[in-house]
Parts: sequence; C-alpha cells; structure tokens
Amino acid sequence: MSSIDKVTLQIMGNHLRAAAENMAYTLYRTAYSTFVKETEDFTTQITDASGVCVAVPMDLGATWYPGITYGRAMAMIKDYEPGDICFTNDPYSGFVATHVPDVHMWKPVFHGDDIVGFACGHIHNTDMGGAVPASLSRALTEVHQEGVRFPPMKLYRAGKINDELVDVMMLNVRKPDQNRGDLRAFVGALNTGERKLRDMVAKFGAPQVTQGMAMLLDYAEHQARDVLRSIPDGEYFFSDYADEDSVNGNPCRVALTLTIKGDAAILDFTGSDPQLTSALNVPTGGDPHHTLLLVGVYYVLCTLNPQITLNAGLTRPFTCIVPEGTVLNPHSPAAVGMRSLTCARLRSLIFGVFGLAVPERMPAAPAGSSSIINVMTTDNRTHRTVLAAVNPIVGGAGGMPHRDGTNGSGADGAYLKNTPVEITEAEVPIQILRYGLMPDSGGAGLHRGGLATALDFRVSAPHTRITARNRDRSRFRPWGILGGKAGGPSDMVLNPGTAREKPLGNTDTFTCEPGDVIHIHSPGGGGRGNPLDRDPARVLLDVARGYVSVAAAAESYGVVIQDGAVDTAATAAKRASLRVAGDAPHFAFGPERDAHDALWTAEIYHDLTVLLAGLPVHWRFFVKGKLFELMPRTGEPRATLAELFAKVQAEYSDVPAPRRLESV
Amino acid sequence: MSWRIGVDIGGTFIDFCALDESTRELHTLKVLTTPAEPGREVMDGIALLQQRYGMDPAEVTAFVHGTTVGINTVIQRKGADLALLTTAGFEDVIELARLRMPDMHGLFCARPDPLIPRDRIFGIPGRVMSDGSVQTPVNAAAVRNAADAARARGAVGVIVAFINAYRNPAQEAEAAAILREAAPDLFVFTSAEIWPVIREYERTTTAILNGYVHPRVGNYLTSLENALRQQGVAARPMVTKSNGGVMSTELGKTNCVNMLLSGTASGVIGAAFLARQANTPNALTLDIGGTSADVALVMDGQPQFGSGEKVGEFPLFIPSVSVTSIGDGGGSIATVDNFGVLKVGPESAGSTPGPACYGRGGNRATITDAMAVCGFLGHTPLAYSSVTMDRAKAEAVVGALANAMGLGLQETAEAIIRVTISNMFVEVNKLIGRYGVDPADFALMPFGGAGPMLGCLLARELGMARVMIPRRPGVVSALGGLIAEVKNDFVATVLLPIDAESGVALAIAAAGLRQRAESWLREEQQFDGTATLSVLADMSYLGQSFEIGVRLEEAWLAQGDMAAIATAFHDQHAAIYDFADRSAAVQLVNLRLVIAGATEPPDFPRLPRVEGAAKPLRDVEVWHDGALRQVPLYLREDMRHGHTLSGPAIVAQEDTTVCIPAGFAGDVDALGNIHLRWREQAA
Repeated sequence: MSSIDKVTLQIMGNHLRAAAENMAYTLYRTAYSTFVKETEDFTTQITDASGVCVAVPMDLGATWYPGITYGRAMAMIKDYEPGDICFTNDPYSGFVATHVPDVHMWKPVFHGDDIVGFACGHIHNTDMGGAVPASLSRALTEVHQEGVRFPPMKLYRAGKINDELVDVMMLNVRKPDQNRGDLRAFVGALNTGERKLRDMVAKFGAPQVTQGMAMLLDYAEHQARDVLRSIPDGEYFFSDYADEDSVNGNPCRVALTLTIKGDAAILDFTGSDPQLTSALNVPTGGDPHHTLLLVGVYYVLCTLNPQITLNAGLTRPFTCIVPEGTVLNPHSPAAVGMRSLTCARLRSLIFGVFGLAVPERMPAAPAGSSSIINVMTTDNRTHRTVLAAVNPIVGGAGGMPHRDGTNGSGADGAYLKNTPVEITEAEVPIQILRYGLMPDSGGAGLHRGGLATALDFRVSAPHTRITARNRDRSRFRPWGILGGKAGGPSDMVLNPGTAREKPLGNTDTFTCEPGDVIHIHSPGGGGRGNPLDRDPARVLLDVARGYVSVAAAAESYGVVIQDGAVDTAATAAKRASLRVAGDAPHFAFGPERDAHDALWTAEIYHDLTVLLAGLPVHWRFFVKGKLFELMPRTGEPRATLAELFAKVQAEYSDVPAPRRLESV
Repeated sequence: MSWRIGVDIGGTFIDFCALDESTRELHTLKVLTTPAEPGREVMDGIALLQQRYGMDPAEVTAFVHGTTVGINTVIQRKGADLALLTTAGFEDVIELARLRMPDMHGLFCARPDPLIPRDRIFGIPGRVMSDGSVQTPVNAAAVRNAADAARARGAVGVIVAFINAYRNPAQEAEAAAILREAAPDLFVFTSAEIWPVIREYERTTTAILNGYVHPRVGNYLTSLENALRQQGVAARPMVTKSNGGVMSTELGKTNCVNMLLSGTASGVIGAAFLARQANTPNALTLDIGGTSADVALVMDGQPQFGSGEKVGEFPLFIPSVSVTSIGDGGGSIATVDNFGVLKVGPESAGSTPGPACYGRGGNRATITDAMAVCGFLGHTPLAYSSVTMDRAKAEAVVGALANAMGLGLQETAEAIIRVTISNMFVEVNKLIGRYGVDPADFALMPFGGAGPMLGCLLARELGMARVMIPRRPGVVSALGGLIAEVKNDFVATVLLPIDAESGVALAIAAAGLRQRAESWLREEQQFDGTATLSVLADMSYLGQSFEIGVRLEEAWLAQGDMAAIATAFHDQHAAIYDFADRSAAVQLVNLRLVIAGATEPPDFPRLPRVEGAAKPLRDVEVWHDGALRQVPLYLREDMRHGHTLSGPAIVAQEDTTVCIPAGFAGDVDALGNIHLRWREQAA
C-alpha cells in the first residue's frame, strides 16, 4: 500500500467532509418535520470501517457528534451486505442513541467484499410514542415510558425495506407522517453519503481511502494533543449543579476532576450524583470516550484552536471515568429522555474546569439553559386544536477574554434558531407581547455576560397547555470568573404584576386560563473580570442601549450616571467604596450556590459519594433524597453525613449497610 | 446606427461591453477603477469607446450599469446613521436576528454588530394583529419623541418596521407620515414598502439595508446621470438588479436594496445567455476574480432564484439570483501548519497587496503565485497589460512553503492548486446537495479573470465531463447587464387555505399585484414593449412551518381554480419529497409576481467554419500533474470556428488565461466559445 502524503491527506479530508456536508444538505432539503427544518436537530457523519467518525459537516445540524463511534451498535448486527441500512433508537443498546426520539442510522459502503466505511447520522423525531406527546418529560421514571424502542436492526436488507418494521414504528408514534417523511429523507441522505464515498474509492483507491481515514483521525488527535500541551499540567476540580434532580427535587450535582499530564487528559466524573428516578440521566454505558461526555471538550478545543479538525481522533487523548449507577452512567431502565438538561450542565462543568486550567483563554459560563416552549391551545374562531413550538428561550454567552458575551444566544446554544413572532401569531392563537433582551441579566464584569432573552405572551382559550422543556438555572446561576459576577437566573411567571401572579420557576408543564400572560426569561451569561475595571464609557453605552439600568450601573459597576452622562467624581468615589482588597476567587456563583455550598461542603459531598457508591443502585436516589430532607438548615447545628445516614437507617430499617469504600 | 452599452464595476477593473447594433459587433474594454472618484472611470471608458470604435454618445439607445457602491457601503460599514422604529416590546429584533450563528463550534461565536445600534432603536406603542386588525393605535407622541431622539443621536434617516405590517401596512404608513411632518430632514422607509413579506427580522433587515445604502447610492446615481448627460448620452440610464433584471437609475435611488447583489447576478444572467446561445442549457457557472469565487446553477437556460443571499455579513430577503460563494479567489493565501498540512485560505491577499507575482507588495504565496510557478501564467500580457508578472517573486514565496513541507518548488505549487480545488469541491458539494442535482449533467462555465485558469481542474474534481469557455470570460457581467430585462418582483403574504372560500381573496390579491406590476413597468419604467408575467406561490401543508415555491398560472387565480392550485402544490411536493398527501389541507403563504419587459437579445454573428487544429504560438514549459511538460500556448484571438485543441494546453487572451489539463479536448464553436470534453468519460 502506497503511503499517502499530507497534501493528499488534506484533499481527502475535504472530500470526506464534502460527503458529510452533501448528506446534511440533502437531508435538510428533503426532511419534512419542523424539528429538522427549524431546530436542525440532526447530524450526519462518515465513519471508517469500524464505525469511528472521520468527518462531519460544519454548516448544518447539531454540534454534538463529531466524536461519535458506532462500533458497539454496529457489532450487534452480524452480517452486512450492500444495500443494508441499519438503525436503532434504544439508549441502552450500543449507546449510540441517547434518548428514544433520536433515531440513528448507518449504511455500510462496500468495495468488493470489504466495507470501506459507513454513512451515518441521526435525526430527532418529534414523537416516538410513549407516555407523553413528544415522548419527553422530566417526570418519567423508566425508559419504557419514553416511546417505542428498536435495538440495532436492519431497516433495509440488501436494498429492500422491512415494511413490517416501519408499520410497527408508525403504529406507535403520534405523528406518523412526520416520522415517515423524515425517515425517507434520511435514507436519501445515507444513499448520498454512500455514493460520495464510492466516488472517493474510485478516485483515490480503497486502500488509500482507508489509510486517509486513519491519518485524518491521527491528525485531529495531534491537534487535540497540541492544545493539551499548551495547558499547564495539573489536577483541576469543579462541580456544577442542575437546580432539580426530579420534579421539585433536590440539586443534581455533576463533578469532574480533570488531570492534565503532557498531551493527555483524564476526566474523572466521580462525585456526580447517583442515577435519578427522573428522565435526567445521561446514558453513556461508561464508554471512556463517549461523545456526550465530551461535547464540552469539542467546544473547548474549537475555542482554543478554531482550525481544529472535527472527528473522533479528538477524543483519543481524553479518558473519561464514569462510575456505574450514576447520573452519567445509569443502569437500564433508568429514564433518559431529558438528558439534554443534564448535558447542558456537563458542558458548563467542562467549561468551568478548563477555565481553572487556562483562565486567560476561557470565557465565563454561558447561560446554559435553553427552554423549548410548546403551546397546545384551541383557536376560538375555528375551534381547531393547535400544537406548536413557540421559541427556544436562549441566553447569552459568558464574558470572553476579548469582548462581552454575545447577547441573547451564543456559545453552546448558538446552533438554535428562533421562530419569527409573525409566523407564531399567524399559526397559533396567542399574542406575543414582548420578545427581546432582558436588561441587567448579563453578569457584571470587565467583559459583561451576554443578556438573557425574555418572552411574554397571552393565551386566549381555556385549558391551554404550556410545556417548557429544559427548565434549569432558575436557582443556580451561570457563574462569572476572575472577578466577574454571575449571570441573572432564569424565571417563569404567570400573570406578572397582577393580583393573579404566580411564580413557576422550573415548572415544565402547566395549564392556563384565557387571558393569562406567561412571562419567561432565560439565564444570562456570566461576567469575566472585575466590573469596577470596566471603562465607564462602555457602561454608559450599555445604559443608553438599555442593557444595564442606571441603578445597576452604580451598584454593579460603580459608575454613577446623571442626566445621561458619567459623573466622574461620584464614580471614583463609588468605585473606591465597592472595591474589595485582595484577589477575587476564580468563580462567582451568586448567593444561591454559595448558600448551598455552605451546607453541602466538599467534605460532605465526598462522604456522600462514598456512601451512595456503596449502596445498591436502586437505593441511591432514595437515600440521597432522605439525606437532603434531614440536612440541617442554615443556622441550625451542623451534622456529619454519618449522623444523617444513621437517622435514615433508623427510620428505614430496610436500608442495606453500605459497602465500605475508602475512596472512590 | 445605434449602440447598447453594458458597464460593470469590479474590485480592480471596470468592464465595458459595447454592442454596435449595425454590425452586431461586440466591443469590450477594461479600465482600472478610480476608487477616489467613483464614476469617473465610466466617463473614461465612454471616451475610449468614442476614440477606438467611433461610438457616438447620441446614438446610445441603452446604457446599463452595474455598480458595487451599495454592497461596498455595507461591507465597509460606511452607510447612513439610521434610527429604527419597532413595535414596542420588539426593539431587539435585529440584534436577536434568527439566533443561530455562523461558526457555532467555538465558545466565541458572535453575530455581526447590527447596522443600527440599540440606542437608536425606539419601540412605539401600537399593534396590528396577525389578521390585519388594529388592536392598539399608533402612539403619535411616541413617534414624535423618537424623531427628536433619533435626530439628537445623529440619525439621518428612519426605518419603520412594525409587527404584522405585512398584513396591514397602515400603522407603518401613519408613523412615516408623522415622521415626515415632524422631521422633514430625515428620510423614511417602511418595511412594507420595501418588501412586504411575513417574518419580522427578514423584513426589517431588508428595509434597513435599503436605508443604509440610500444616501451613497443616490448620490452616486445622480452624479452618473449628470455625467452621462454632459457626455451627450441620449439613453435613459438603467442599473442592474439582484434579481437579474434592470431598472431606471431614478428608481434605483430609492429602491437601492434591489441593486445590492447585482454584480454577481448579472454575471449569471450573462453566463445563462451565453449558455443558451451555445445550446448548453444546463451549466454550473464559475466566476473567479481576485477576491471572490462564486458558483451558480443554470438549469434549462435559466438562473435559479432565492432569498436570504448574503450582503456582507447580512442576509437580504428579496428574490435574487442564487449565487454561492466558494472561496476568496486568486488571492487566497497558502500556509503550512505544524503538522505539515497545507492549507489554502481563508486569509486572502485580495486585490491589495494581491499575489506576490504582481509585485505590488504581496509577500505571501497565493493561488495565482502557484499558477505562475507552475508556468501557466505570464507568457503574454495580463489583464489588458495592466499587470506585469514577476515570476521570481512567486518562486520566492512558494519556495518558503516548499522548504517547510520538504517538497520541490513546483510540487508545492501544484499542491497549493490541488488543495484549492478540493476546498472548492467541498463548497460546490453543498450547492449540489441543496439542489439535489448531479454535476455530471452540467457543463462548467468558468468566467471572470481567474475562472478559466482553474475551471477545468474543478470540473475534473467534480466529475463534470464538459467545460465551456466563453469567448470573453472577463466581461460576462457587463454583457449580463446589456441583455437583462426590465424586471421587478412583487409579493403579498396572504396566508389563505386553498379552498373554495379563498378564491375571491386570492383573485383580488393577484389582481392587485398585477396592477402594481403593470404600473411599475409602464409608468415608472416607461416600458412599452412586450411583457411577461410569472406567478409564483410559497405554499405548504397547513401546520408545516416552511414553504416550497410553486409556479402557478394566472388564469387559475382569476377563475378561482383551487383544484389546479392544490394539484400544482402536491405535484411540486412530490417532486421534492417523493410523496404528497393529496387529501391534506394546503395553504398559500406568499403570492408572488414577477414582471419582465423583454429586451431584444443581441444576435452575434456566426463565424465561418475552418478545419483542422488550432496553431499554437509556441510551446511553453509547464509543471502539470507531477511532471515538467512542453505545452502548446495558443492565442485566443487566433482561434477560429472549427479549430480543435487538446490538453495539456494554455490559451492566453487579454482578459484571462485558460488552462486545459491533459484529458480534456475540444473545439471552437461559431460564436468563438471553446467546448471541452473529458475524454475518459466522453468516450
């Protein structure tokens, strides 16, 4: 086999990307559902013969899967022949699909008797059946409630579709037309990928294509290792929290110890909460390179080297440790539908830990919570029932080393699209009263966090049902760094400013009366650097633009504004009074997290992790809940975890004795 | 005696096409641009046409101008300081845009800064509902206050864009009237008068682009009119439009937004015309200049149209000829990363300093330098003798990369070309995916200064068997203006279900569009020739969030033939998606109408046929496909109808250099076009 040179490697890289891009454009052009058209919740990939991703599109689709490997799912099918198309949506068979609405598909590309690679991808179906419309709810407790599941199997065998299989799927889903349309589009995209890969084999030769794929993986790995070498060796620890681990539940902790040594990194997620009796679990199967664990890493790598090659070679220098029976490696049949909420925390966890390692190059936390609002209501004129997505409520990016965070969206939420107000009003009988930025929601900083978005709308029919998926960060704010303040928390309120006002917080589904007004706003991005160092002229401009109020300019930035101008003397005095001696801590979390940390100290969390890991999986979430109930409030006498657990054992005699684990 | 003149301004040159209608001869000319005095080069060119070809300005019956004043204003952000009035509660419409950002893989991604800063955006109480009814009247005092504040903050013009104005523009008009009275010194445009289509961000940003370029474009066109008058040019000057048509300069001063993408559009119009003439109905056009590389599809002799094309960093939502950027042209810079991998772009040396071999201060290796090192360029004067080639400079900059890669000089140059071609391959593949076409069904038609240099190589990479090199690739855009039709688009968002009850409303909407279109063509444009009307509709199944374009017949609307309209939609849906639910409810979102006044296309003389192979000027040494070869060099002006040639070969001409790789062979047609075929596939 002749060795291919690096010029040919670059050209082959372009051809492989062209194949993936062509698949994505084909899918986008022919897909039927709004989910694909508007949200672009799909991906396409070309993989090598072992199912490792070698190329993804840059323009279209979601950003999560450049590091995906299909190997385990592919191996569950014994024999492949030309014309086969395989698929799965089961989160526990091969750990490719990570919740039931995601249907992953793959098609082998043959050269003679050999497979040279696969055309692959996924599509998020609006509904796959199960207990609730759209198949997703935080309240679900078992994967069986989340829709009809298919382990890896052949949809097409040698070019012939298995109609019976399709009939089973369509019988079980609520919008069969959409699923059918998207499935058809996806098959077209896979066929396009197969054709493009075959063209490459004809042009370059099969051994060269195989070798080129291997070298492209090496190339991405080399680039990732280059980035790691630029980061100081060391051990960095961070933890972040989802507000609730279930409906009205306790905080859900994800924790990470990042060890960087030379050009390799270990991501140890020990300390993350036990698996949950809600749908927030992230199914990874404990794969040390699972793409969902590493999405935040792709963002970090692209931030530190924008020219980086996106493929699974990027994952090689990283080894993840994910203990079994935890929220990041649950046992079947834990529900996983809303893993996207936890994945947002996983990403902020990774951004935070890398921020400790390279503070000068990383931004503060992005808003990190994108609520998807759906309305089901009745048109008072036609009496027709309307079910529609209104808008994703996305927040700003964190303050960057070189500029303010992007307002209203950005960072790991930048792939989301909104729906025009006029389209919504034309199709859904609601009136949108406001859609815009939320003043004072960006974390104060030398570089301000990006502002939140706010949406207010009025419904006009009885029994109008609202769902808001991914509600989080109403309590624990997006953190600021290096003296920058935390971004504003998210909130949702019914009938604000009226006698019928009702706080909704993280509530994700509720019913409205005619005339009700719903207000929701996202979190804002965290600030970066000391706000007292921000140029007063920039603060004045923020005030003129309505991003910051006069009051917040004074209290957060120490800039006193009188009659539209900076009062220089008063500003100097105010800044002097606000300035605190000494270095600020790396993170500013805001009062809610500070209060939580004061009770749930690092030591207590360590003991909790050891204790729960020693219990059988089905006891862990229960015991965690009881311990949270028993934890003394602020001001009450403190207790050790052992004392609290003794109380649980006293009340529940069936609690087994934990296995003694000295360290985990 | 009469003359038709087409003029197109590019980054470095201004191109002239002058058609002498008595002899049917087409004369071409290139003049360097005079950025300090925009418009002066037009006068220079007219003077040259008089001198060289005896053109009498009084005999000019058509003068069509494509200008980049508007798009440059946006790219350089040198437009007017504007204020924006929105519906209260929606003041952030242009900052939020559609949320999604380009380059969304890193944490530092950002949207471009809006053309109007937030402190000059004013929310006005008042509300039109989605059915067009008025819920709350416009607050006149708020409008007056906004006018005062806008002026105090330096605005010279105001854009009014209210929610649901596509359905009922009355509140926008009312606010505009109040503004004109309260602040007569500020110019005003409303979103509904610019392009009244549903989707508030798209409509608002399109209106803003119009206002942003309005003062500069208006001034430019006024001085052009004066200059032409002084030169004694009799014809009413016309300007080219993004939709591939033309309109009067008078209208261009206020409908500026329609000119923004006229440069790339006229190139495709010109290319489509040449393709039709040469019986090549399906073509992929490739326009490469020093700073840009664009492709477009011509199918059945017609360009494709779309909206959402980019003007600088901003999308423009009026129907435009669809053009896809595939790179930054001949000035793209090559680099080697620390893994030893060669990259080309996205950095570009542009037109200044330009490629190193142009000797104007460029000191990094560009695609043009690589072509020079391989020996493709520099055998005859370049670009009408305005550029001199310094091959030693090219060898020095490419040599530096060769050292870094451990390759030979010419191997490195060829590697740069190969990587460039594969970069273009990625971008063309997106276009192919978007349209679902097979490139093998198309001929590649390269034009522009650098298109013919790279065209055959790209065709080879794409598996395209045919390449057509027009006779004068350097002036295709100017020609496009010359043959373009007087043309405009009209839209009404109707949002009507396709059922019997909608028939009357649709007929009324169609009649209204037709009346506006006729009035535009006959009164505003004073056009008295034959006109064509095409009716299009953006339609979807009820509840579907996106529309597909469907061609309708006017009679269906006039007669209320809902069945025919629904069938047309289902058929189109089936064509795109392989299926149609013929029992499902269908809605018509936008009704669109295109009116075009026909322009007599020039009928170029056919050349007499000769037999035999073309005679090369001499052989030159070229590095090609990994080896140094003796390659024949032809002069384009020596090539006659019927001449054959085969690659590897170089054809030099005043405006470009055609590079023909081994494996391509072809001949010259009666119009002087070279048609090449890829032998391996043609056999």
